[in-house]
Amino acid sequence: MGVTCVSQMPVAEGKSVQQTVELLTRKLEMLGAEKQGTFCVDCETYHTAASTLGSQGQAGKLMYVMHNSEYPLSCFALFENGPCLTADTNFDVLMVKLKGFFQSAKASKIETRGTRYQYCDFLVKVGTVTMGPSARGISVEVEYGPCVVASDCWSLLLEFLQSFLGSHTPAAPAVFGNKHDAVYGPADTMVQYMELFNKIRKQQQVPVAGIR
Amino acid sequence: MADVLSVGVNLEAFAQAISAIQALRSSVSRVFDCLKDGMRNKETLEGREKAFIANFQDNLHSVNRDLNELERLSNLVGKPSENHPLHNSGLLSLDPVQDKTPLYSQLLQAYKWSNKLQYHAGLASGLLNQQSLKRSANQMGVSAKRRPKAQPTTLVLPPQYVDDVISRIDRMFPEMSIHLSRPNGTSAMLLVTLGKVLKVIVVMRSLFIDRTIVKGYNENVYTEDGKLDIWSKSNYQVFQKVTDHATTALLHYQLPQMPDVVVRSFMTWLRSYIKLFQAPCQRCGKFLQDGLPPTWRDFRTLEAFHDTCRQ
Ligand SMILES: [Zn+2]
Repeated sequence: MGVTCVSQMPVAEGKSVQQTVELLTRKLEMLGAEKQGTFCVDCETYHTAASTLGSQGQAGKLMYVMHNSEYPLSCFALFENGPCLTADTNFDVLMVKLKGFFQSAKASKIETRGTRYQYCDFLVKVGTVTMGPSARGISVEVEYGPCVVASDCWSLLLEFLQSFLGSHTPAAPAVFGNKHDAVYGPADTMVQYMELFNKIRKQQQVPVAGIR
Repeated sequence: MADVLSVGVNLEAFAQAISAIQALRSSVSRVFDCLKDGMRNKETLEGREKAFIANFQDNLHSVNRDLNELERLSNLVGKPSENHPLHNSGLLSLDPVQDKTPLYSQLLQAYKWSNKLQYHAGLASGLLNQQSLKRSANQMGVSAKRRPKAQPTTLVLPPQYVDDVISRIDRMFPEMSIHLSRPNGTSAMLLVTLGKVLKVIVVMRSLFIDRTIVKGYNENVYTEDGKLDIWSKSNYQVFQKVTDHATTALLHYQLPQMPDVVVRSFMTWLRSYIKLFQAPCQRCGKFLQDGLPPTWRDFRTLEAFHDTCRQ
């Protein structure tokens, strides 16, 4: 795999999520990108069970268990700012057994689904982020396959992102900053998706709090 | 040429060895025939036994004799020479159907022709260098004069010399690591790893680069049985493009009398790809054109250009 940048595309004014996705994919197709199947990334949140919390009164850490259709045999377990574990898909079964320690947060499942596009050596995935039944946002993932060092090809990625995101081009992902010349890996992509999902969750909470 | 002649001598030995094998087989089958027939009718039992044993002994002796003969011949045949100038293709001379497949003679013709061509090209380049207006080129002409008749034997340099040249180049460039192997006899194959950017498979013949394939740092360069994969191309368009340019560079860097300089120049040029993803085009100033970064490197200045932006 190459270096990947995950970002959020805001919904265009006066348009629905679906319409904005269509606008974006049409732009990609005009550029010459070719459709190549679909993709899905999902994420479930787990709380540390109350019974196992230490006496120091520390707050329970959140753990995220994620899957990525690009790595169908793997399962990723991440802590915020913490380590990322890459395991076999059997890990899901293990989580059921660990019910006493980690409890799934209710209705926490968030996922993004959409179409994969290939353009030269770039792989672009535009997805609709959904929580439960409702669409909450748009994710844009761009992978540049030939390169393995994030800092080497960020300028090049940026130029490509600008070509179809225009003013919504994101800043360099935080994971790029602390990698120096280390080889970029699948876990780095999952961290970016986790951060994107958390951001989208918070965006949703604001109006809900306002109503109360 | 001596090698070719010795293959001819070997051929004689081969023919003899084959007839020795035939003799051995028939004497062995005589032994079994004798055993199968058993004791023939003779007047007395003693006479029968005697005749059988004598017959059996004779047969065994002839087996022994034929076997010794075959062993002697097999020493003469020997192992096919690894240092044959045509390598394993020299074995083609053993093909008995010369009329249908005159491959070997054609191969020899081609070999002689390419040697001659190289020799004449060498002479021509020496002469042209003397006519040059550049002072540095003039000096080169003088040095070419000092050693007249540049040897056309650069095709058969000793492997140790090739190893030395390569390891010197390896030490020259810290960000470049060169791994040399000889999976097919005397010809060297190099696996060049350039930083964390790309890998290059270089197929050498003596000190001449025959073929080169560029692949990504994260791409597999080995076949299933663990050998260097010199046939399949990269999955990424950018490295396919760089492979094309590297092949062009092989044609550009030519100096028949100094093959080591050619290899060094090629590697110096190749090293400029360390910034493959970081260098914008020197002409249009952009990183991407049709989804590709600047894949061309100027042969003299080593500047980065898009394929369509170079002059
Ligand atoms: Zn250009």
